[in-house]
Amino acid sequence: MTKIKTTFLGFALCAGAAAAAPAAPRHDLILCAQVTNNFVVGSKLTAPSGLFRREADGAYRHYGVNFPFVFNLAVDPRNPDVQYVASLNGALVTRDGGRTWRIGTSWDMTEPKDIFLDPNAPDTIYLALPDGIAVSRDAGHTWPRAEKGLPGRGKYMQVAKVDRTRAGRVLAGCESGIYLTENAAKSWRLIFPTKTTITDIRQSPHDAKLWLASTQSNGLLVSRDGGESWTKFDGVPSAEALYNVAFDATNPQRYAVSSWTYGVRTTEDGGRTWTERNAGLPEDHVVFRVGIDPDTGRLYAAVYKDAVFRSDDFGRSWTKDGLEGSIVYNFVFLPHPAK
Amino acid sequence: MKARILSLLSLGAILAVSLRAQPAFSGPMPSPAVVADAGLRRAAYFDRIDEVLKWRAGLPVGAGELLKDTAIIASKLARHEDADLCSRSIIELMKEPGSGPFWMFPAVDIAYLGRGQLSAEAEKAIRDAWRSAMQIRGDTENHWAMYYTSLYLMAQLYPDDPADSWYTGKSSQENMAEAREYLISWMDLATTVGQGEFNPTHYIGEYAIPMLFLSTWSKDPGMRQRGQMMLDWLFADLAENTLNGVLHGANARTDDTSVIERWNALASFFSWILFDNTVPPQSYGGWGVYFATVAKNYEVPEVIYRVAVDRGADYVQHDLKRTRRRWRNSDVLSAPVYKTNYTRRDYAVGSYQGGMADPIQTHVWDVTWAVPDPRGVHNTMFSMHPISSSFDMQTYFTELPDQMIKGVTKEGKASYDSPDKLLGGSRFEQVFQNLDTIIALYDIPPGTRFPHINGFFSKDLVNLTVDPSGWIFAQGGRAYLAYRPLAGYELQPLARIKSSWTGERADTGDKRLYSPHLKNGTIVQAASADEFKDFAAFQAAIRALPLEFGLEPVPTVKFTSLRGRKIVCTYGKAPVLDGKKVDYSKWKLFEGPYLNADKGSRKLTITHGRLERVLDFNTLAISDRVKPE
Repeated sequence: MTKIKTTFLGFALCAGAAAAAPAAPRHDLILCAQVTNNFVVGSKLTAPSGLFRREADGAYRHYGVNFPFVFNLAVDPRNPDVQYVASLNGALVTRDGGRTWRIGTSWDMTEPKDIFLDPNAPDTIYLALPDGIAVSRDAGHTWPRAEKGLPGRGKYMQVAKVDRTRAGRVLAGCESGIYLTENAAKSWRLIFPTKTTITDIRQSPHDAKLWLASTQSNGLLVSRDGGESWTKFDGVPSAEALYNVAFDATNPQRYAVSSWTYGVRTTEDGGRTWTERNAGLPEDHVVFRVGIDPDTGRLYAAVYKDAVFRSDDFGRSWTKDGLEGSIVYNFVFLPHPAK
Repeated sequence: MKARILSLLSLGAILAVSLRAQPAFSGPMPSPAVVADAGLRRAAYFDRIDEVLKWRAGLPVGAGELLKDTAIIASKLARHEDADLCSRSIIELMKEPGSGPFWMFPAVDIAYLGRGQLSAEAEKAIRDAWRSAMQIRGDTENHWAMYYTSLYLMAQLYPDDPADSWYTGKSSQENMAEAREYLISWMDLATTVGQGEFNPTHYIGEYAIPMLFLSTWSKDPGMRQRGQMMLDWLFADLAENTLNGVLHGANARTDDTSVIERWNALASFFSWILFDNTVPPQSYGGWGVYFATVAKNYEVPEVIYRVAVDRGADYVQHDLKRTRRRWRNSDVLSAPVYKTNYTRRDYAVGSYQGGMADPIQTHVWDVTWAVPDPRGVHNTMFSMHPISSSFDMQTYFTELPDQMIKGVTKEGKASYDSPDKLLGGSRFEQVFQNLDTIIALYDIPPGTRFPHINGFFSKDLVNLTVDPSGWIFAQGGRAYLAYRPLAGYELQPLARIKSSWTGERADTGDKRLYSPHLKNGTIVQAASADEFKDFAAFQAAIRALPLEFGLEPVPTVKFTSLRGRKIVCTYGKAPVLDGKKVDYSKWKLFEGPYLNADKGSRKLTITHGRLERVLDFNTLAISDRVKPE
């Protein structure tokens, strides 16, 4: 384990941090990140990459597999030692909290970008692949494909997310649009066609019918009927790609979007108006990912190969938080296991 | 960006070492005479191997110092030298294992070569590294060939080890089964619908070395045979596409140096060591050392040797290949590549139909002329559209759109986002070749990054003449060349990329034909100096050739070639040759005087004169015969 030093400069001055004594956090922040600058295959890993847990003191501590291409993480809510990772090598599985790992998939699956566990059927894990999707129904022991209804081409899948209110209901973001299954991937149907890749899909923690989807060229999409129909948000630019979207679990009116070109955009009125929140970020504000702490509403932004930044005033000001030189593929907020 | 990129870091270190004692690199060109005696050929092959190993094993090491890299260790182990020093060095090196296929195959090399030489502690150090360090599989075919061959062989060394003793979390038997399945799948693809990274100037090593290891060390006779057969397949394809040992275009992948100095590539190491028909590049191309450590276990078949060195007549070969895997933006996972190679004594013309075989390093067509000594010579001519596009990157890579162009320029592909680059294919280029005539048409949409054409005019051309007719005439070696731009242009000095990693440039005297017109085209007609009384006669013959062309609404050319063939090319349509539409769908996997295979057959027939070798992957049989007169 290697501790990555974080920067505390300005921490005490943050308005949010200075507010009333916070309740004990109910989530851990895990980052899927690469820290090795300009890494190419064959070069030595000069710093640990993969999974980083943000400790109470603000430090990012690496755990588990040292691997530069860890894209997302899913954890079994019944047993947090059981974790699933989408990585360049396929799906990695640990059953001992990250001490040992097994590449769960074989040669015929590569470069999954997302992995998601159904909270209502936690032995079912979805693995979004560049050529479709695999679904494990036995807690990661086998990974058969489940692509009936997906097109032969156009099924490049960047993201798959489960409806937390209904087991087996999953929305998948593909090159050709958003697809829906309501039977745990036994069949899929196209519900919103696009010409370029859907980059992220999220379900509101406040309203299970409300979903957002970021896209490469269709801007930010919203669905208010559980993903059945989608419209484009005005106020969010769409000429260039949006990379991901986040809901604020502490405030139903607040969302944030990341973009290489546009940096961070936020809304605090449920999407009616959007504001650029790049002041205080590095000048080129190349934002690869945003995340919002579900306990505090703290906004995180990962600036490509620069650092993770945090904001306790929802983007009005930013403080460098750590993981300098990193590419953050995902912010994962893991609920603490029930005691 | 990420795993897609060839790691040349270790290679860079190797190239930086002393040039001393590389006699073949600095010595005279080998004799072009065919060596008929198999024993003499074999002995000379062994001598070349020994030259490589002696040089690499003999690089100076400070007194009391450990060896710093696996190449010198492998060379010493191959020569049965300094086993104790090798053991101690390995123990140190394995404390920080590398992270992917470029580390894995050298590790396998020293593990196998070290049997009976290394200490138990050194063997354990290697073994432990395969438990503790998660290896990156990468995302290209060459990565996977190295990765799975290495995993297969390493697991074979410890066949009964449990899952928790491997970074994969899988047992030795599971690792071997997965690796075997992938390797057979890849061989099936290559032998039915064509190789993906075909005719690569450098990546040939990333295939040949693993296949040599497989053919040498696999205990499974079937896998051993497959390794041997794939080696023959690769080397036969290399032999067919070389001109005096120099691999010419088209290439699925090359680099900024090799695309103009065609000899300066790892492929030339293989021509040298296998066929002795050129000189090796500096430091034997770096990776060549690993091939040499095991090369005595490969015997160059005479028929392949003859294809490389004994050319009685001009020949045309048509090959079927395939593009790199397309994740997005395409109706097919891998598109067919229809490749033409016309080779004569004085020059070779090679091409495929255009488009991208690879998103960054494709080289679609060129005329490459023969030279007495290729070192430092830019013996080639071509044009291309220097596209730089995140759309294209996303077609082939599983990445978000924006970081790719910025990232790739820092990962050994410095020229990618440069408007004067000479490396790369384009979706907006369509090429047709008949014998020594090339017609390349371009229809570039407005708004495309780098909306112009680059043509390469070598410093080594002589008699460069811009003719009032619109043709540009030049002579390269004994090849007469006529180049017809279809739109306005200017010839500019070209500072070529000297380092693919740093982007450092050097002025070499080459010129770039810069043509800033979206609808565009190039016609090139080559001929041998032997065919004409003098250069003026060639020019007169070219001027007399019937030529009509237009650029609107799309580029179109009607041209009667020097060979009397009537060619009609219209961008977006199938070419028409002598009134008949060219039907690529009927192309075989290989068709020509030397290599023949039906699509889907898994069976290659290599022929030279009366010699014939058949590689049959259906039965895993190699059969040789001397055909009756």
